[in-house]
Amino acid sequence: MKSFWKAVSHQRNAMFGLAIVGVFILMAVFAPVLAPYNPTEQNLEFALQGPSAEHWLGTDSFGQDVYSRMLYGARLALGIGFASVALGLLGGLIIGLSAGLLGGRVEWALMRLVDAILAFPEIILAIAFVAVLGMGTDKVVYALAISFVGPFARIVRSDVLQVKARPFIEAARLMGVSPFRIIVRHLLPNVLSSLMVQAGIRISTAILLESGLSFFGIGVVPPTPDWGLIIAEGRGFITMAPWISGFPGVALALLLIGLTLLGDGLRDAFDPRSGGH
Amino acid sequence: MLMNAALIKLLQTLLVLLIVSVVAFFFLKMAPGDPVMLLLGSEYSPQAYARLMHELGLDQPVTLQYLHWLGRFVQGDWGISYVTRDNIFKQAVLQALPVTLSLATLSLLMALTLGIPAGLLAALFRGRWVDGLVSSLSVLGSAFPSFYLGIILIWVFGVELGWFPTMGFVRPWDDFWDGLYHLALPAITLAVYYTGLIAITTRSSLIEVLNQPFIAAVRARGEPMVRVVGVHAMRNVMMPLVTVIGLQLGGLLRGAVMTEVVFAVPGLGQMITTAVLSREYGVVQAGVMLTALFFVMVNLVVDQTYRFLDPRLRAR
Amino acid sequence: MSPSDLNSDLDSDLKQQLAARLAHDLGRRGFLQAMATGAAALGVGSLVGEAAAAGEPMRGGILKWAQIVSPDTLDPHFTGSLGAIKIHNNIYNGLLKVVYDGKAVSFVPDLAESWKMVDEKTHLFKIRPSVKFHNGDACDAAAVKWSIERVKDPVTGSPHVWMVKDLAGIDIVDPLTVRIRYDKPFAFFQVAMTGATGRAGTIVSRSAVEKFGKDFGRNPVGTGPFRFVQWKENELIELERNPDYFEKGLPYLDKIQINLIKEPTSAVAAVLSGQVDGMDACPFQFMSQLRANKNLNIYGEVEGNYAFLGMNNKKGPFEDVNLRLAVAFAIDRNVLVKQGYFGDAIPAYSLISPPMNGFYDPNIAKSGRGQFFDLKRAQEYRAKAKEQGEITVNYIATEAFTSNGGSGSRNAQLIIPMLAKIGIKVNLDLMDRAILTKRRNAGEFDLYDEAWQADLDPDETIRPEWLTGMPWNYVGYSNPEFDKLVIKASESVNQAERKKLYYAAEDLMMQKDAPIAVLAHTKVYKIFNKRVEGFKYVPVDLMNMHTVSLKKL
Repeated sequence: MKSFWKAVSHQRNAMFGLAIVGVFILMAVFAPVLAPYNPTEQNLEFALQGPSAEHWLGTDSFGQDVYSRMLYGARLALGIGFASVALGLLGGLIIGLSAGLLGGRVEWALMRLVDAILAFPEIILAIAFVAVLGMGTDKVVYALAISFVGPFARIVRSDVLQVKARPFIEAARLMGVSPFRIIVRHLLPNVLSSLMVQAGIRISTAILLESGLSFFGIGVVPPTPDWGLIIAEGRGFITMAPWISGFPGVALALLLIGLTLLGDGLRDAFDPRSGGH
Repeated sequence: MLMNAALIKLLQTLLVLLIVSVVAFFFLKMAPGDPVMLLLGSEYSPQAYARLMHELGLDQPVTLQYLHWLGRFVQGDWGISYVTRDNIFKQAVLQALPVTLSLATLSLLMALTLGIPAGLLAALFRGRWVDGLVSSLSVLGSAFPSFYLGIILIWVFGVELGWFPTMGFVRPWDDFWDGLYHLALPAITLAVYYTGLIAITTRSSLIEVLNQPFIAAVRARGEPMVRVVGVHAMRNVMMPLVTVIGLQLGGLLRGAVMTEVVFAVPGLGQMITTAVLSREYGVVQAGVMLTALFFVMVNLVVDQTYRFLDPRLRAR
Repeated sequence: MSPSDLNSDLDSDLKQQLAARLAHDLGRRGFLQAMATGAAALGVGSLVGEAAAAGEPMRGGILKWAQIVSPDTLDPHFTGSLGAIKIHNNIYNGLLKVVYDGKAVSFVPDLAESWKMVDEKTHLFKIRPSVKFHNGDACDAAAVKWSIERVKDPVTGSPHVWMVKDLAGIDIVDPLTVRIRYDKPFAFFQVAMTGATGRAGTIVSRSAVEKFGKDFGRNPVGTGPFRFVQWKENELIELERNPDYFEKGLPYLDKIQINLIKEPTSAVAAVLSGQVDGMDACPFQFMSQLRANKNLNIYGEVEGNYAFLGMNNKKGPFEDVNLRLAVAFAIDRNVLVKQGYFGDAIPAYSLISPPMNGFYDPNIAKSGRGQFFDLKRAQEYRAKAKEQGEITVNYIATEAFTSNGGSGSRNAQLIIPMLAKIGIKVNLDLMDRAILTKRRNAGEFDLYDEAWQADLDPDETIRPEWLTGMPWNYVGYSNPEFDKLVIKASESVNQAERKKLYYAAEDLMMQKDAPIAVLAHTKVYKIFNKRVEGFKYVPVDLMNMHTVSLKKL
């Protein structure tokens, strides 16, 4: 862990990204404390009002406070982002490990399956998924997770293959070290570090995709305070109340920037091929 | 030996496409709702419903429906759309695909034209403000949801300033300049993401190449900087660039989906999403197969280029 | 046979009665005045009726309009979508057409030259001579007979067969005269015979139908002012001028291009930027902006429609009539009008809407009839309900844009807090249209909302929707007494008698049974820029281009 930290802290961009993401995490965690209003409390007399002393970022078409919704939206964005990536990671790990370790026909079949999933346009996969499972925050997480299993599985498998080919692994096997020990002590650490890097990069994709689903009206259900949903609802009022889409859009962009910087930083720090550390 | 490898790759590709078709078909069938109910609207009798279901072959067991579809598909009969009553092959390949391809091509060209020079400048003036600007703009570009950007562009450039048309599509092969004019805003929306990516890739690979000993040797020979960068360095930057572009090309098609809906561009993306929502199984299959084919082909090409690049992977 | 040979006294007497229902009356004028005042208060650009054309209309040009709801098919005998009807009314004619003089709607002969009601069940139409279909076929008595009988033929499978259910037969009196006979008097007859929402009376070309079969909906052939050119899926529909149109001198336009733009804000942007010359339905929140725009003319009034909240009468907690009544009186319609429709609607107390002259009661608000917001009364009903304590229900909805300008879940989101006040917790179940259709049709819901639109007569706004066992009666409302009243009203041509019957039926439905909570009657707008002249607004959601011309700006 210490070397991990050391590697990352040397990257200026990554630190900057970490700072941004940190702010959003704080926003998300402390939303109930920071938010002046209940994010789903309608206040129809005050609908579509601009930023003011009572409503720092204005109100939306139902009179809900945009600032409060933004804070809670950070929760949802990060929550969905992390959850779907984590789930996809788990799936990818299982498939990639099985493929890499078991080899032979199993590997071949699994990788073809992965190829097939990868060939699907992500958004179509997500739309179809939501059509089958229904809408709602948890369903969106599952739908997004599926589209991440593919890339993760591929990475895990190729890492497994690389590590497997190393001489000292061969030596350890000949010496009779239990395969389980080999996996846990040598394989997993390598795999996990490159997975972490990939995961960091994917979270921004997850959040982007999720707002895209809300845009189509098949993401989370209103009045859930979700940035994608707020932007989608706000687009119908863009000339008379641009702050509804505006602020969450900026927040979304900022978070994505932070995540991208962090992800790039991680990659530069760890991935030998990108010419970093 | 090489022929065998190629054949194996081809068979693998076909198998992947087959799996894609199965997954797409059965998955959409699992979604509740069917096209007949949507077609008949709000005024129909159970007899009309049963009759149309039978006519469309939707009352048969799902596996049988799939096999029927597969059999016809490989022979070139992609079926008839329930809604438009038109030939699906014509709709997908002859009408929708070229639209999406022209959008994607224009976006890519924009991204390359802007991205490569930007990355070049950033690499040459590394550490200075140019570099910082390019890097931050690139990151910014990758962070905007394309639908949001699209809507902003429509309102600012289309409505307020009136510089560009806000919707519609004119086929560039019918009327080149008018076609480009209509494609401008959607292509910019799509291009924003890739410009940044290309700039960053150009920058980092150029930096890497410039640090190589052979560059120092060329410079020591007294060659002008322009030639050093333009000829020697760029030659080596091209390869990673092509790889990245290839990898992202698949993603370009996907980004097109949202852009197409916002700008009312009648491409593959719009076709597939509409078809999923109206449970047009035949159209969805066609669309998914096309995008999958495209993606797989791009992957193949990229794999080969990668193999070519990295000698370590060549020895197998 | 000359008109004087027929029993003109009886005919004109009967027609008088039929026409009286749709004639102007004091109430409607007063209503219109209120609308006009309101419109003036909001800003320039609001017009009712036609735009004045200065001098001779210019010939030629292409008119483009943006449409958000794509048509399902251009075969009038199959379409259920207003998105299709407004387009196909430029391609086809009916025996009759609807005209509007700014005060009242009336039915006049269109394809027919004259219309005589021989008796309550028999109608004689003389068809205009030398009318041709777009493919050159003659449109004569035989063509008309074939077209109407196509609707009735079970082989065709038309969903509009109910309009000709009691059709006894069509006789060809001479090559240009048909006699249409019904088994029973059919008050709805003249609506059914119009080329627009009538659909059963929209005349299609026999040879084209036989040639194209199932594809006729994508290759329409009629007698109208415009011929079909092409339909590029998800993109546009193009029509071109019919040089042989029977109304001399019309149309003026060379071409019409209907741009299908699914994204509502993009469609509005297209209008504001001048890329298209107009649009039909538009999201309500943009209306104030559009009205203030000096380059646009807005046409629109409250039309024959009502939006409602449907409650499942057959399954679940809403089987209990007291719960339904509680809901009906717990909804604040004024809030819905203000926040859901941005002021472009009026609260609905019952089903009959303002354009139905002779039936609509402009003083219904004070009459105590119908449903309205009364929280105390709602709570009283709630206290009588079988289930006390908090009840949880689902509300199925979709985000798809609705053709009257509303947005999918907006009403739901406004209603949900209102129902919370009477101890009903509502879960919003959002889904795509395919799933919604399935669940709604199968009765797998507790609540859903819907709007029936572009109705001209109480019969079409009540009977197919609420009679026991009708296919659109998704909530499962069944009251035999109600059925009897409505059927009786549909078989009479006496306006006063019908009005009494409908009021009795409404009282049963709204205040005794409350299978639904009726919400609002909405305005329906047509928006054109100043270049477009000669547009005649008809309050049945129509985009008629017959008399439209383009001005050189």
